[in-house]
Amino acid sequence: MRFFLAILLGKLIIKLTRLLKIGGGSAAPGLYALNIEPDLVEKLSRKIPKNIVITGTNGKTTTARMIAHFAKQQDLKIIRNHTGSNLERGIASSLIHNSSFMIHDSKFDLGIWELDEAAFNTVAPKLKPDVIIFLNVFRDQMDRYGEVDNVVKKWCDTLKNLAKNTVVLVNGDDINTKKLQGFFGGKVKTFGVKDYKIIGESIQRLKEKEELDFEAENVKLNGLKGSNFSSIINHQSLIINLPLPGIYHIYDFIAAFAAGLNLGLNPEKMSLSIKTFSPAFGRMEKLDFGYIFLIKNPAGATQVFETIAPQLKPEDRLLVALNDNLADGTDVSWIWDAEFELLSRLPVRGPTALRLICSGKRAYDLAIRLKYAGFDPGTIQVEQDIKNALKQAKNGLKGSLFVLPTYTAMLELQDILAKSGIKKNYWEET
Amino acid sequence: MKLVIGYLYGDLMNIYGDTGNIIALKKRAQWRGIEIEIKVKSLKSKIKKGEIDLFFFGGGQDQQQEVVASDLQSSGKGKIIKQEIERGVPLLSICGGYQLLGDYYKPHKGPKLPGIGLFPAYTLASYNRMIGNIVIETQFGKLVGFENHSGKTHLRKEALPFGMVLKGFGNNGEDKTEGCIYKNAIGCYMHGSLLPKNPKLADWLLKKALEVKYHKEIELEPLDDSLESQAHDSTIKKFS
Repeated sequence: MRFFLAILLGKLIIKLTRLLKIGGGSAAPGLYALNIEPDLVEKLSRKIPKNIVITGTNGKTTTARMIAHFAKQQDLKIIRNHTGSNLERGIASSLIHNSSFMIHDSKFDLGIWELDEAAFNTVAPKLKPDVIIFLNVFRDQMDRYGEVDNVVKKWCDTLKNLAKNTVVLVNGDDINTKKLQGFFGGKVKTFGVKDYKIIGESIQRLKEKEELDFEAENVKLNGLKGSNFSSIINHQSLIINLPLPGIYHIYDFIAAFAAGLNLGLNPEKMSLSIKTFSPAFGRMEKLDFGYIFLIKNPAGATQVFETIAPQLKPEDRLLVALNDNLADGTDVSWIWDAEFELLSRLPVRGPTALRLICSGKRAYDLAIRLKYAGFDPGTIQVEQDIKNALKQAKNGLKGSLFVLPTYTAMLELQDILAKSGIKKNYWEET
Repeated sequence: MKLVIGYLYGDLMNIYGDTGNIIALKKRAQWRGIEIEIKVKSLKSKIKKGEIDLFFFGGGQDQQQEVVASDLQSSGKGKIIKQEIERGVPLLSICGGYQLLGDYYKPHKGPKLPGIGLFPAYTLASYNRMIGNIVIETQFGKLVGFENHSGKTHLRKEALPFGMVLKGFGNNGEDKTEGCIYKNAIGCYMHGSLLPKNPKLADWLLKKALEVKYHKEIELEPLDDSLESQAHDSTIKKFS
């Protein structure tokens, strides 16, 4: 009875939030339903034949989206938690939305679930996943997750108690995820990029002999257009053209690819279909006036800077938006660990200096970060209101506008763009 | 003029935003034509008397903190740091670094981690995490930062607090004190990063370092701090 009540309430909230246009209903329905039936996720996910869980600091949404893309291309029906809502309530919401009261069999073939670093420990055991991906672990929102060592220690404890028939895929280039191998009784496989290693907060080139189970090699980066590389599967070399820029996206791909293979997907079809993949909202998104890249922690932000810095031209503009809401992390100290210095390679003074607009609730914190990164304070404009900042940044723009928002600043942007008809609401995206 | 900044255990103790303090010191010196050298002093390195003009000591993860606590004792670096502070060398320590410069840190389990006893204070582990923006009143005016600690530091009666809490928790969330100051050495719980948004404090550290090194009174050339002031004022307004 509780079970049905929980679903009924959840469905009602979904209807209401959409009717009143107060959001996509990606968290609240699950939150309230879980209050009525705490085992909701366990009971609903049990009906789905295969489940896959993705965790780590950076790349969860993109990886989940890639697996979904591969699976759909091969005619599997998938269910997943959308829009980066990666706590238990997000998963419950998605399950409720797609559940029916009567049918006992699932209408889905595969559940794809991204879980944040902390939620993994409580939710993964409930989902009883067939495959788990550990992408990486970096410093992120220390006010919420605590220290990196702590995150890894809790993962180890969770893994010890998971069923041995689970396949665990770990990033073999990240020393922290690699050490999870020793804590799981079942099968563990490694993925990574040949001659690259994650050292501390950055990805670096490093020759080494170690073999990984799934590896991208002969990597060629093609600026903002993406990259190409090869991967040897069943003694056969596949060429992959990835339409997303930066080394970090290759990790997302190879993880998704490894998961697909474990689920029995066809490797040739996967490597071909990636060409038509479009990134998740705000993750390296191409718009008519430029690009949006989500920045949310030192490692992720530095990777974005590395990717865009060589592409910046004097006529381009940068709009960086820093919020300090709960979902962004309330501590903005992290901006001092992100290498904003990488962006100051172009002239930072004089008439050809790159124009900079700092926005968001902590726009002034950003402004001094950029000043200390080498930009002339005269070229730094502060406009806390994101809507106004975007308007000013686009006004008279001759080159491209690179927008770098934190999570909730990105949601604001999405909303602004949706209202002006440029983008769909994020919950309408598939 | 030239200053050497000693970044104590910079490879192990550099939790969120500590680097921002080093960047602020370096830039504010360079903008005035003062040369800066940064030396990371970690497990294998020695510190010679007179080698370092300004110390910085950041926060660390629990495991690192244990290693560093024992190295401070066994390598003799703790003793040298104390002697240098006695002759007026300035120091800024934050969070974990601050705790290790007190008498001791008592974790939930296991023995006390000894500190070097520079600050007359001790820290006890607690189960409530003190997280959030913090504003304090000090001799440098109001300062703003972000604290994130579960250790509660208690000052002994001869200790001088660095400031009084206007918003936030401070040393222990109970007595309204935040941090400790002894001679030109400061310990506190303020990340943020602290110095970029509080340039008066950054300049005081630079001034003291130069005065001790060059044995004369120093007036630092003023800088255009309009952006820093706006960041400082708007954050304080937002959180008090």
